[in-house]
Amino acid sequence: METISPLTEAFFYILLSVRQPNHGYGIIQEITQITEGRVILGPGTLYGAINSMLSKKWIQLYSEDKSSRKKKEYLITDRGKEVFAKEVKRLKEVLMNAKRMEEYNEKV
Amino acid sequence: MKKFRVYFDKDTEQDWIMEMSNQGWAFENFFLGVYTFKPSEPGEYIYQIDLLDDWMGDKKDFSEFMEDSGVEVVAQWYRWVFLRKRAEEGPFEMYTDIESKIVQYKRMEKFFLVILILESIIFLVEFLAAIRTRSMALIIATILIGLIVMILFHNVLKCKEKIEALQKEYH
Repeated sequence: METISPLTEAFFYILLSVRQPNHGYGIIQEITQITEGRVILGPGTLYGAINSMLSKKWIQLYSEDKSSRKKKEYLITDRGKEVFAKEVKRLKEVLMNAKRMEEYNEKV
Repeated sequence: MKKFRVYFDKDTEQDWIMEMSNQGWAFENFFLGVYTFKPSEPGEYIYQIDLLDDWMGDKKDFSEFMEDSGVEVVAQWYRWVFLRKRAEEGPFEMYTDIESKIVQYKRMEKFFLVILILESIIFLVEFLAAIRTRSMALIIATILIGLIVMILFHNVLKCKEKIEALQKEYH
């Protein structure tokens, strides 16, 4: 399985936002909200990331109603969940090792 | 209001369209160097210019996606698109991380490089014909194509510079 390690912040948060069906605008909104405005994703960045993840099959098209031109929704796939879990594992390790710095600073 | 301009760099073109917007002129259309503006509230819109990956396939997909994301596709010229969003709806920047900015400039570099190669071939053919025939019309055409080749070459270098600067920011 090809993965980019570590995931870019955009990829990480997009994967998170499509844990349930979500559309472009919803993804941008949710990421802005949960990062308290620190990460505001540009629509061009989002478009590129979504196409890249669709071709890697990390996400899939969830619904597309051609007749009423409903907003396209995306959903994470099992492969996407694996990639996300792997990244979370890496981040946990990073965070755990970061404690070494705190512990050291407390000693001195 | 209509204005005729020739831009070879999308960043300065974008700056100019933003300047017009801030003065109360909202960009509405583009055709062969002619930019159409309509009166608006000063600074009502924020504009961005983008280059599509593949103009046959993703044109419709791209526009629909942008509209789903709350962005209006104002005009399109070949693979170039002009996008806008109301300023009151918050900041608007198409590419917000270094990775995707690099991808965007690489796409532009490739775009200019392909035209550069084609124009260079045309230049060579015209140049040889101009030497052979010594026709004034051909000489003028050769000089004009030569100028275009230089501008395109300059554009490719500029894209390279921007990519390098972004890559440095990375580390």
